Parts: sequence; structure tokens; C-alpha cells
Amino acid sequence: MMRKITIKNRGDVTYKVDHKKPLLDSLKAMGVDLPYGCKYGGCITCAAKLLKGRVNQTAQVALNNRQLNNGYVILCVARPVTDCTFEIGVESHDLLYRNPFIDPLEDHELKADIATPLESRK
Amino acid sequence: MNSVCCGPGYASPAEAMTAPSEKILYTIAIYTGTGIQKPDYLCTIDADPESSSYSSVISRLEMPGIGDELHHMGWNACSSCHGDIEKERKYLIVPGVRSSNLHIIDCGTDPRKPSLFKVIEGSEIKAKTNLSAPHTIHCLGSDIIISMLGDAVGNAPGGYLHINESFEIVGRWENSMGDIKFSYDFWYQPRHNIMVSSEWAAPNTFMPGFDLEEVGHLKYGRELHFWDLEKKIPIQSMYLGEDGLVPLEVRFHHDPDSTHGFVGAALSANIIHWWKDLAGEWRWEKIIDVGNEPHPEWPIPVPGVISVILLSMDDKYLYFCNWLHGDIRQYDISDPHNAKLTGQVWMGGLLDKAPKVNGVKVTGGPQMIQLSLDGKRLYVTTSLFSTWDNQFYPEIRTNGGCMLMVNCDIKNGGMEIDPNFIVDFGKEPNGPSRCHETRYPGGDCTSDIWL
Repeated sequence: MMRKITIKNRGDVTYKVDHKKPLLDSLKAMGVDLPYGCKYGGCITCAAKLLKGRVNQTAQVALNNRQLNNGYVILCVARPVTDCTFEIGVESHDLLYRNPFIDPLEDHELKADIATPLESRK
Repeated sequence: MNSVCCGPGYASPAEAMTAPSEKILYTIAIYTGTGIQKPDYLCTIDADPESSSYSSVISRLEMPGIGDELHHMGWNACSSCHGDIEKERKYLIVPGVRSSNLHIIDCGTDPRKPSLFKVIEGSEIKAKTNLSAPHTIHCLGSDIIISMLGDAVGNAPGGYLHINESFEIVGRWENSMGDIKFSYDFWYQPRHNIMVSSEWAAPNTFMPGFDLEEVGHLKYGRELHFWDLEKKIPIQSMYLGEDGLVPLEVRFHHDPDSTHGFVGAALSANIIHWWKDLAGEWRWEKIIDVGNEPHPEWPIPVPGVISVILLSMDDKYLYFCNWLHGDIRQYDISDPHNAKLTGQVWMGGLLDKAPKVNGVKVTGGPQMIQLSLDGKRLYVTTSLFSTWDNQFYPEIRTNGGCMLMVNCDIKNGGMEIDPNFIVDFGKEPNGPSRCHETRYPGGDCTSDIWL
């Protein structure tokens, strides 16, 4: 099935993409100039911010739970479940990076494999 | 074998120190993670003070694609092949940490304008060896060994990629990783049949950036590993604990008979010294401890973050950078058990000691360093790793990195930033880029190992 992808910070341009393919591959093939690095979901270079819609990105291992809660998506492994609106490139990275000494993560905000879920905390 | 003739490098560290001064430098510069959609590239920089283009980039070689994150690099041959007239130090192997591509760059045909000779694709390395994230490169005799920090999907502990002198993948070098949890840097001392390796973290941990909490969850290294070089198996691990959090660059003495070596523990901001004692046991001790510094906006004091160390060719001085504090230090390690601080300079960093140097705003802190063979000129760059730069020095996106040079007094100790050398990577033609490791055509203080 095809999904409509809107890129907000490129003048709301839209693309129709296959819901089974990683967004990076689909968008690149249609000429969108996107950053990327490892291409297996581990390095965060291709992160974009999801403003509307849902994706399946279970293969990503780069994002911690705070970054996920802030809407970040690893485009090289994420597939669109619904129509989606994104902000792409480093303009979307305002909440992606933080100084870890000034702004520490809470236990539930760590990466999924080491996070303590909120409901299990006292 | 005629050791005085014509293979690459030098017969000994002492002979290396008498080599002519470096006239050009090779430095990688990255756009990965900067927002500029251009390939990372290898810069050639004029380091000849007599030249009209001194202290500027004289050529740029772009990699074929974007997103590599060039980082460290190494030669196809070094002084370990000095006696072999057939060998030539001609090709620089320049890996992409994120893409796992290995770029083989011909620096011999025209040293002032290197050209791309071959690319070993990351996908081929992953398919044949289940390894990714290349880091340190050493030539071992004629073959080349590269530490790889992850498996094909970025999990630790990775392993070692073996390529031959024709730049074909031979396979995995090591026979076993034993109980090693992480990989990073390595160095070896063939006369003692020993290799030492250190630990950063899994690529999936460090590539997205630094979550301090992951140190406590044991996602970052704190061990040092000793290997039987011939058998290619780890034989002893040293748990450094809180003194050795995130041990990065390892350096043996250049003297091939010595068993002394050093590692910088980045997060603990300590220098750890190891050696083999008279009973034949490998031992370690902490010889330098950089204290954390208060910062007006930080809830806790700032650790130095020792991102690099190196030794002068005569093994007299140890240099290291505190990337977050912003200083480079020189220690006399004539007695390796007792390091004496002999010099210190400041550039950039978070403590605001030297925000501007030679008219340029220094964004980032002193990071990779490379020392001339004679020990007198130390070249410094300011970027660590794109995602970590973005966390600690976000203004580097618009300012770019820079390269400075420090004059080192090798007789009495002491350091001074050279007022006439500055390469501002904020002014690059395609926009601000970030510079990292530096090498010289004739070998340098981290490239050569003697058999």
C-alpha cells in the first residue's frame, strides 16, 4: 500500500511511498536529499522528526526513549504505518542532542534495553 | 635484508627523529552530521613555512558518497617493512566509521593531490566478516589489520579485519575475542609478542551520541586487554574500574624493546601506565589524574575527557588533550612511573580559558594531535565525533573545526601555540566542516611500529 509523506520543512512537498520500504530508500529514490550513515538503524545520522502519523521502527537501536517521545524517527529502517508528516535534516534536530552532564536522562528515558518503565517505578 | 636501504620508514625511532620536517599534512574533514549534504574529504595542508600557501588547504579529495564519518586512518606500510625494498608507504587507508567503507587513497603518485585508488565497500566487509565500524589501522609486516568496533549491525565486541597488501579482504584476523566486551584502539610490540587493545563501546551505543547513564549500565568499556600477538588470542584482561572509564588511545613506547605503554581513560581523565615487571607479569598503575573543573552552568564539575594521547618518538614526552577542559598537556615520562607536567596550552574548551586563538574562534576543544618526528611541532584539531560534537559544542555546526600548531620545547619542556599557523575549517568552500586525525607522508608519532 502507498502512504502519503509530507515534508513540512521543504514547503509541504508530498510523496507517495510503499509502506513496506524504509522511508530513507523511498524518499532518496524520489530525489529527497537526506543525511544518512550506517543504514541499519544504529547511528542516528538520518533522524527526522515525525509531526503527524505513525511509523514502524522496531529495527532502530539508536534512539533513547526521550528522543522517541520527542518524535524522532530513524528513516533508514522506519516504515510508514499511516500517512506521515516529517521535518527532515538537521533543522529537525533541535531536541535530538543534549549535553548529558547538564541534562541527564531519567531511568525511563534511557534506551529500551536498559530503561525502567515508568509504571514499575515507585 | 639490508636495513639501511630502502623500504618504508626508518631503521629505528632514533633514525626517524632525524628525518626531514613534514612539508604537508593529511587531515580528514567531515560533513556527516553537520547538515551539509556533501561527502567527507581528505585535505592536504601545506606545512612548509617557506611556502606561500603555508597553513592552508592545498587540495581536497571527496569520498564517493555521503555519510561515511571519516575518523582515523593508517598507512599500507610503515617502518615494520623498512628492510623490504619491495614495499612502499604509498596508500592511506581511510575508513568511514558509520558506513564501514574503506577508502584506499593513493598519496604516493602526487603527494600534494591524493587520489582515490579503491573502495572496499562496507557491505562487502559485513558480508564476509560480520564486522563494521572500522577504527584503528596498523600494518603488520605487509598485511593490514583494522580494529572493527561492531558486528555487521553495530553490536559489540566487534573484532579485527585482516586485509592483504592488494587491499583484498582476507577475513577475521583474530582467532578469538575471548571475553572481551568492546573494541577500540590497539598497538603491539612484536619483540615481546604482545598486543594491547582498549574499549570504547558498541557502535550502537556511541554512534548516536553520549548518554552518560549508559556508563553506569556497563555500556562503555573499562578494561584493557593483552593479546598473544602470534596466536592472535587475548591472554589477560585488566579491569581498570573507576580509574579507567572509557580507555581509548593506547601507545606503547616506540622503543621496540620496551614493555611500557600508556592509555588515556577518557571519562575518568586519567593516564594509565602498564609494563611487564621483572617476574614477567603485566602490571598497571594510574600515573596522571586530571581533576574535574567547576563550571557556572553545570550541576557537576566538568571532567577533562582525555580523547587522545601520544608519545614523542624518543619516548620522553607524553602529550594528551582534555577535550572538554580545552588544554593540551605535555608530561616528561623519562621515568614512566612518575610523570612530570612540563607544558600546557589552552584552546577552546568549555572553561572559557582561550575562546579565540590566532584570530579564530575555537569551537570544540583540542582533540586529535599529531607530533612531528623530531618532536617539535604538534598539530591539533578540534572535532571529536559528529554526534558528540553536536552535544557538547553545538556551535561547531556553523563555526566548523580548526587546526592549530603547538611548538614544543624538547630540551627543557614547554609548549607554545604557534602564532602563524591556523587552518579555519569554518571557511571551507562547501561550508563549515570538522577536522579530525592528521598524518604525514613520511610517517608520524602514531603510525610506525618496529619489529
